[in-house]
Amino acid sequence: MTLLERARPLQELNDLLAEAVSRHGQFVFLGAEAGGGKTTLIQQFCHTAASTVRVVTGACDPLSTPRPLGPLLDMAGALGKPDPWQSFPFPSRDGLFQMLLANLAAHERPTLMIIEDVHWADEATLDLLRFLGRRIGPTRVLLLVTYRHEEVGTKHPLRTVLGDLATSGVIRRMTLTPLSVQAVAQLAGSSRLDAARLHQQTGGNPFFVTEILSAGGEGEAIPMTVRDAVLARVARLSPAGRAVLEAASVIGVYAEVWLLTLLTGAEVQAVEECLDGGMLLAQGTGVAFRHELARQAVLDSVSPHRQQHFHTRLLAALTTSSEQDVARLAHHAEGANDAQAVLDHAPKAARRAAGLHAHREAAAQYARALRFSGNAPMLMLTSLLEAFSVECALIDRLQDAVQARHTAVRLWRAAGNQLKVGENLSSLAGLHLNAGQNAEGEAASLAALDVLSDLPEGVEHARAYQMQAHIRMLNRDHDQALEWGARALKLAEGVADLPITIGAYNTLGTSLILSGDPEQGGTLLKRSLTLARTAGLDSRVASAYSNLGSGYGEIYRFAQADAALAEGIAFCRDRDLDAGRLYMEAWQALTHGYQGRWPDATAVAASVLQHPTAATISRIMALLALGRVRTRRGDPEVWNVLDEALELARRTATLQRLAPVYAARAEAAWLTGQLQRTALEAGAPYELALQHRHPWFVGELAYWQWKAGSEIDVPSWAAQPYVLQQRGAWAQAAEAWYALHCPYEAARALSESTDEAALKEALDTFQRLGAQPMVQWVQRRLRDLGVRGIPRGPRPATRTNPLGLTPRELEVLSLLATGHSDKQIARHLTLSSKTVGHHVSAILGKLGTKSRAEAAAEALRRKMIELK
Amino acid sequence: MPRYLIERTFPDGLAIPMNAEGAATCQTVVGKNMDVGVTWVHSYVTEDHKKTFCVYDGPSPEAIRQAAERNGLPVDRISLVSVLDPYFYR
Repeated sequence: MTLLERARPLQELNDLLAEAVSRHGQFVFLGAEAGGGKTTLIQQFCHTAASTVRVVTGACDPLSTPRPLGPLLDMAGALGKPDPWQSFPFPSRDGLFQMLLANLAAHERPTLMIIEDVHWADEATLDLLRFLGRRIGPTRVLLLVTYRHEEVGTKHPLRTVLGDLATSGVIRRMTLTPLSVQAVAQLAGSSRLDAARLHQQTGGNPFFVTEILSAGGEGEAIPMTVRDAVLARVARLSPAGRAVLEAASVIGVYAEVWLLTLLTGAEVQAVEECLDGGMLLAQGTGVAFRHELARQAVLDSVSPHRQQHFHTRLLAALTTSSEQDVARLAHHAEGANDAQAVLDHAPKAARRAAGLHAHREAAAQYARALRFSGNAPMLMLTSLLEAFSVECALIDRLQDAVQARHTAVRLWRAAGNQLKVGENLSSLAGLHLNAGQNAEGEAASLAALDVLSDLPEGVEHARAYQMQAHIRMLNRDHDQALEWGARALKLAEGVADLPITIGAYNTLGTSLILSGDPEQGGTLLKRSLTLARTAGLDSRVASAYSNLGSGYGEIYRFAQADAALAEGIAFCRDRDLDAGRLYMEAWQALTHGYQGRWPDATAVAASVLQHPTAATISRIMALLALGRVRTRRGDPEVWNVLDEALELARRTATLQRLAPVYAARAEAAWLTGQLQRTALEAGAPYELALQHRHPWFVGELAYWQWKAGSEIDVPSWAAQPYVLQQRGAWAQAAEAWYALHCPYEAARALSESTDEAALKEALDTFQRLGAQPMVQWVQRRLRDLGVRGIPRGPRPATRTNPLGLTPRELEVLSLLATGHSDKQIARHLTLSSKTVGHHVSAILGKLGTKSRAEAAAEALRRKMIELK
Repeated sequence: MPRYLIERTFPDGLAIPMNAEGAATCQTVVGKNMDVGVTWVHSYVTEDHKKTFCVYDGPSPEAIRQAAERNGLPVDRISLVSVLDPYFYR
């Protein structure tokens, strides 16, 4: 067949292939409508490319529940040895992905990898696309995937993949346009059909056009739909030929000849007839439809009764042939309406899918089994419900997951098994928490404790205690969290339940960090991390990193927070754990902001907010980081950001979200001179913060009420820098803020003095940070004090270092870092040793370090100096 | 896309010559703006050339700052603005 009007996309593909061959890996999404000519274009492209590169192809299938990693199975042969993907069970999904990448990188020839019809892709295949999209940049690979763009609506999972990869830089999107009237006329050639009408009727769809032309209507009415066109062709076949087509359409996209023969008893001749007519194509030891649209049209024309008959015979044949593909067996079992067979095969297919992280397909297989579970024994039913709930939770179908747990609870209760009731209630609590329904979660957790209370302690109790500890930790009720956590840990270690043990260490560690024992807390969280890492429980590892980072961040220990966040983000990025990564990035934006790295803070926050699937808690923290920086810069669009943050924080109804959001709002109100509003915003969560004795939240919230002129008695256990400021000890407060690496807060403390030097130092820091509102505030204060010669702008040299070191201090610092003594430095800079001593203590103060060695290390880490 | 008014101060006066060099300077600014998705609509310059009021379209205040940074331009204040004209209420 001649390829019309495809010269440009072909040229583009050839150019991209050339790029890929020179080690600039490329990833092309080729979209078109069904029958738009994607496959034909690719065949043509492969034909020329095959001489220079290795070509591997796979396709996603239109089964109601697709085979996990189906395309990779298709490619197994072409990828060559070692071929672990040919045999189940796979080593592990991640191991498999890594092996594929290694194969692509190591092969002596560049690779053209084609995956067709990804609008039908299973979840594991979508993960594969995400994995490759982020890593093929430096390889000699052109990955070409096709999809039907009309099937990819805004909610389609492929959208998320496209969104995730938008920033990767290797992605191209190409769209095939329909044929023009001229091209249709050329195809119509000598036929008597009117080209203009044909074009209008088909919308220029190449498959539709060729189907109509092949149907060979002699000037009659043009078929209205593709289906009509296909069936018009089918009608011209012999009855035996039609039977072959119908059977093939039930077997699937690809039909083995032995199965065809079995179903139809067909003579070879009937198959030949379909091949000759171009309805089927020979492929391996079987046949395939020329297009999925044709298969669907034929399948739709087969009566339901006849379809069921085919499915029954296929199931029997495949079962006796020891078919390995359980997803295929489950598909035919459902088609055959054979409940027993569905219950045999679907759960197996579900477990296999889950093993490959194809959780969407796993949930669908469990749902299939549940549809046929009417007469299933109670034990099977509950285990199906529980497994279905687990899979739904993993794909964010939380309401389905909750529903299944409720049903399981009801069944176990009726059967009088209180242990199982308790276990399911604990899981239910976790689901509610994930959905942001903290009150429902609390209720389910308490119900679990209640139902288990009279029974001898077992693993179900450990789970219930751990869930209660976790909820108390989230609520910042640390005494209770520690109590429940300790009980959970003892019991979980006793029964050697690793996941609960890991969870308990996490909860205990986080609560200790937040309740005044950050060292011990860090130790326990790291134990949780190590255990999870050894056991390969990636999401638990991410959770440990996440709580280390956010826990230290919440108590202003930014160096420790930054270290944990950097490691955790790298860990999640390597494994495509987006949820964990985004939450830690949101926290990273916050710690950047506190430490005066505002451009980094806003860049990271913006990238989190742009992510289509960022969870509510990640969004709240990113909005907070962005809102704080905008406020401090005096930039517009503060309130829309902080309003959204508040709305989301209210939904969680927890102190850890409400307090910082209200504090940021109080600051924004104060900086725009709205004192009453400042007091209101800061006062809103104050009681809650006091009840939980949270030193930092109480400290800042009291501070803003004090700044707004309210009578307030800040408790002495509140965070010291804030307490000092409210007692007028601005110099000590500034010291403390410097030690915490918070230049803005330090300058704010200095700005509260009447000392000219302190005010000028504050002004200098604010100018360097670009904190316009505070710059103006301090300038006014200096003018009121009668000070002349108020600096107008930052000195250029101090602009680049965020801690406000003067050029002379930087000079001293770089000499100090290269191991010079005070005496040597003094001689080198022609200064007195005493002056050098002053510079050194100023440097230590601004860097927040105790010794010269620490200062040198810190300066290197911040890239303030370079060692030559 | 939001519209912003950016106030800038040039203590030594802004000097863009009325020749090919000046045109090239402006083109450089436009090019660098494009990298961050920001469009320079136009500017008002005070008589002494020490202050400018620039009208920009851009996705966020941070993008405006990024564009300024890339072009080495100062920023005093960014305001979100919308059009109001004498016939607005008709």
